[in-house]
Amino acid sequence: MDFLFLLELFINGLNTGLMYSLVALGITMIYKASGVPNLAQGAMVMIAGYLLWATIALLGLPLWIAIPFVVVLMFLFGLAIERWLLRRMVGQPVLMIVMLTLGLEILLRGVGPGVFDAAPKRLDLGLGLAPLVVADVFINRAYLIGAISAGILILLAAAFFRTRLGTKLRAVSDDHVASWAVGISVERAIGISWGIAGVAAVGAGTLWGSVQGVDWTLSALLFPAIAVVILGGIDSLLGVFVGGIIVGVLGSVIPGYLDPIVGGGTRDVVTSVLIVLTILLRPYGIFGREDIERV
Amino acid sequence: MTKRTKLVRFTAALAAVCLTAVAQAQEVIKFALNHDFTKVYTFGAVEFSQGQRDYLTLLNEEGGIRGHRFEVFVRDHGNEPQRGIELYTRARDEGAVYFMFLSTPVANALIPRVLQDRMVLGTPLHGRGDAIVGEVFPYVFPMMATYWSQATRLLQYIDDAQGGLKGKKIAFVHIDSPFGRDPIPLMQKLAAQKSFELRTFAYPSPGNEQSAAWSDVRRYRPDFVFIWGAGNSQIVSVREAVRNGIDPAKILSVVWLAETDMKNLGESTAIGIKRAEVVPSGRNHPILQRILQKVVTAGKGVGDPAVVGNTYYNMGVADMLITTEAVRLALDKFGPPLTGDKLKAGFEMIRNFDAEGFLPPVTITEQDHQGGGYARVSQWDGKAWVPVSDWAASYQDLVWEEARASAAKFQQPQ
Amino acid sequence: MFYRQSGIYHTRYEATRRLWPIPFERWQVGVILLLVLAAPFYLSALYLQSYLLPWLIWSAATLSLTLLMGVAGQLHFGYAAVMAIGAYSAIHLVRFGLPFEFAFLGAGLIAALIGCLFGAAALRVKGLYLVMATLAMQYLVDWLIINVPAISGGAHATLQAPSARILFFSLENDLVRYYFALAWAVLLTVFLLNVKRTSFGRALVAIRDKDYAASVIGVNPFRYKLLAFFTSSFLGGMSGAVLAFCFYRAVTPEQFSFNVSTQLVAMVLVGGLGSVIGAFLGAGFVLLAPMILTNIVAMLSDFGWLNVSVNLLSHLPLMIYGALILGFLLAEPLGLAKIYDNIRNYFLVWPFKHSRR
Repeated sequence: MDFLFLLELFINGLNTGLMYSLVALGITMIYKASGVPNLAQGAMVMIAGYLLWATIALLGLPLWIAIPFVVVLMFLFGLAIERWLLRRMVGQPVLMIVMLTLGLEILLRGVGPGVFDAAPKRLDLGLGLAPLVVADVFINRAYLIGAISAGILILLAAAFFRTRLGTKLRAVSDDHVASWAVGISVERAIGISWGIAGVAAVGAGTLWGSVQGVDWTLSALLFPAIAVVILGGIDSLLGVFVGGIIVGVLGSVIPGYLDPIVGGGTRDVVTSVLIVLTILLRPYGIFGREDIERV
Repeated sequence: MTKRTKLVRFTAALAAVCLTAVAQAQEVIKFALNHDFTKVYTFGAVEFSQGQRDYLTLLNEEGGIRGHRFEVFVRDHGNEPQRGIELYTRARDEGAVYFMFLSTPVANALIPRVLQDRMVLGTPLHGRGDAIVGEVFPYVFPMMATYWSQATRLLQYIDDAQGGLKGKKIAFVHIDSPFGRDPIPLMQKLAAQKSFELRTFAYPSPGNEQSAAWSDVRRYRPDFVFIWGAGNSQIVSVREAVRNGIDPAKILSVVWLAETDMKNLGESTAIGIKRAEVVPSGRNHPILQRILQKVVTAGKGVGDPAVVGNTYYNMGVADMLITTEAVRLALDKFGPPLTGDKLKAGFEMIRNFDAEGFLPPVTITEQDHQGGGYARVSQWDGKAWVPVSDWAASYQDLVWEEARASAAKFQQPQ
Repeated sequence: MFYRQSGIYHTRYEATRRLWPIPFERWQVGVILLLVLAAPFYLSALYLQSYLLPWLIWSAATLSLTLLMGVAGQLHFGYAAVMAIGAYSAIHLVRFGLPFEFAFLGAGLIAALIGCLFGAAALRVKGLYLVMATLAMQYLVDWLIINVPAISGGAHATLQAPSARILFFSLENDLVRYYFALAWAVLLTVFLLNVKRTSFGRALVAIRDKDYAASVIGVNPFRYKLLAFFTSSFLGGMSGAVLAFCFYRAVTPEQFSFNVSTQLVAMVLVGGLGSVIGAFLGAGFVLLAPMILTNIVAMLSDFGWLNVSVNLLSHLPLMIYGALILGFLLAEPLGLAKIYDNIRNYFLVWPFKHSRR
């Protein structure tokens, strides 16, 4: 019985962790290409959720058309952000670019609920509430499908880096100037990375929107996503995958046993301690690349 | 002095008297009804505010109170204390007499200020639970059953209608914030007294992911589950409860679970779920009918007509019903112009006010600012909330003991 | 023209090293100081108590953070937690019976000691990873405050600031509170203006620019990074105490949540990293813009010029505020201080724009 409890915590944690990875994927994509940590990724997830809700509820499109439609919209949206905001900040201190993404987050936080109404919206994927029961272990169907989709998307992203365009992106993430020198359009590569981040946001927005409803709180997914990237290493796709699993599993199993003793929700504490420990032991995350500094 | 000039003077004097009378009749009463439209309270703030404003529009349409009309300031404070303080000071300087912010952090930051300025702060369904102690918080009026009274009412309901409390296992699943932890000490006391078993399960704020807590709840095999959250976290709680095979009829919620949330959840997802309520929902009441007739159909309403009669909307109406009753009593006794002190006294003169049967009987005294602490239990039938118990105030001795102890701590530093 | 430099000849080193070598700027500072000193006599309670007072306190907090982020180059996304430690310690110490002056210092010391723990992470990592480490600590402190009733003040997690006196004046008085906050802001301003001219400040700047290089020239990064965290947290904790005693007068965990941390960082960055005037401008912008925008938007709607739903109306200020941040950063990526500097440079040679300074 107790073992089954552990197993259930483990599986649900695994699944939610992978769903956090989905949010984290966008951050990693952008960081890999341009070295900018995108603090607006949570807000992009929220916007994707709102757009999907609006396409279904207001335009009346069925889900399977709505998702590709929103994917295209968000890809263009990502491109637009890079073209109109980020590109103009090239060469400025990274901290100021981070501030820019924070400003973008505030703007989107106003636009989403302002335009579509702040009350929570329902996004039904037709998954039903009945859990998948395996020997008294209740597995949340929505989370399971979320985890599978997250896994697929991360695999796709990894595969993408093996294509011609992906190779260019890798070159860009390695060295901007050298890429320029061999004729790669760095701007376009960074733009595409923002577009892909937009697409990842659709995945996260759809799954999390179906779990908790669509409203501005989707943008609060930024914090667990950041925990994932820090743990795994911000420039590593494998890190996103493994980091998500670790954050999810430990954030589910430890509170499962600790909460009754402490009498409080300890998940954020576990995540925080995890981050601090990671940073103290492995400053560049598990799979992150260590920067070599020269004086 | 000729007769004629005398007459002229008399008429002039009369005219002057009439004019001042008219001027007095036209003096508007200003309310500051600010909300958090953009952050934590987005789940209900728009409806709540709409209810408040629509009811005041109705009063204005019907000629106001003793000829006084109402004017409202409605602003967004984004749940940030410093913005709430700015809005409070601004409205105070512009002559507002009643303040309501529907945000616990803002209300808590304002309490020292209203006590100093002698201004009336309404804290229905938010703020400190111990503000019901009128001696310590003379200018703060929760005016409806607090979270403590809601928790005790739900327990009383189990005791009366669900086979007694003795020996039952109750799981209290709450958001890990001061609001979520609020009723725990009280419930623990009752658990000892009524010999039932209480276990608390916390999920971290903002509550969009609660699976770990609910896996544990299922294994606890509780007889009843209390869910204590608001907005999205309530929706996730109910989903997780249903997913973990808990019978919706055994789930009891705090007051924050309404039509909007059920729509978001899927209307047929949790048929039978119960909640504490302090105001009825629905449109079948003369007051709401009048609002529909004179305000909404006349095109003077603010916002979506579809939400009229929703729980959060009716909470806003109820807040204004009680407050305008206090205004009426204060004006009758002291006459204009209305001040904070007069309004406070007006509130404390409310006796058995039930607003044509819309509310449970509200009695506010100098000691009791809760209005009696009446609440009832209602059940979701797939379309609407149907009451399954009467209005009653439960275990108020315990609530007051807790409130007095807590209020004494508030006074301590002074 | 305004910042006239002609006819100013420095003949001694002290004269060139003055804080404001241009007479007009000395006048400017004097006039501003006079204006804020006299503010209670011409500003209404509204503008004094809910605009100027919080602006001063938040500026003081921003200045303390500027020391860490701008001067020493150590990012800190958990500064609200440091302020919370200061605020809660001050209140508990006064309740314990300590005179306010000592409690005030004690609050700074406790915040500084715990703040050094935040700094421990800085010894290992920098940049983004430091951001995350401090952010994580913010969550830890928040959780502790909420979950330990002895700290938070019981079931409602609200702790009243007890009545206290500073020197001989009771803090129950609005005027005393205002002047105390003003004095604190002025003190911090003077400290920050001068810190860059001390060996301590120069060591911090060396670390900011490149810590390896600094260690090569004999600046011990370990020592100075910790010192930076210590000093900044000391001042931040005391600013938190000022915030609790002079403005909020009742502290709740929400007043020092993660959002407040990001607001403080925004104040430093929007103002302009490392600039003193930027701290004031940034704090003013981030703190006051939402309030002012809310009132402007509401006024427009009262006049009937803006006929939209309540929901959109209340989100408009948020959108404009976000758009303003984007606009400012796109126009001048180095922040408001740089914009001020541009204006100053323009007037330095006005109307002879073509001449070099």
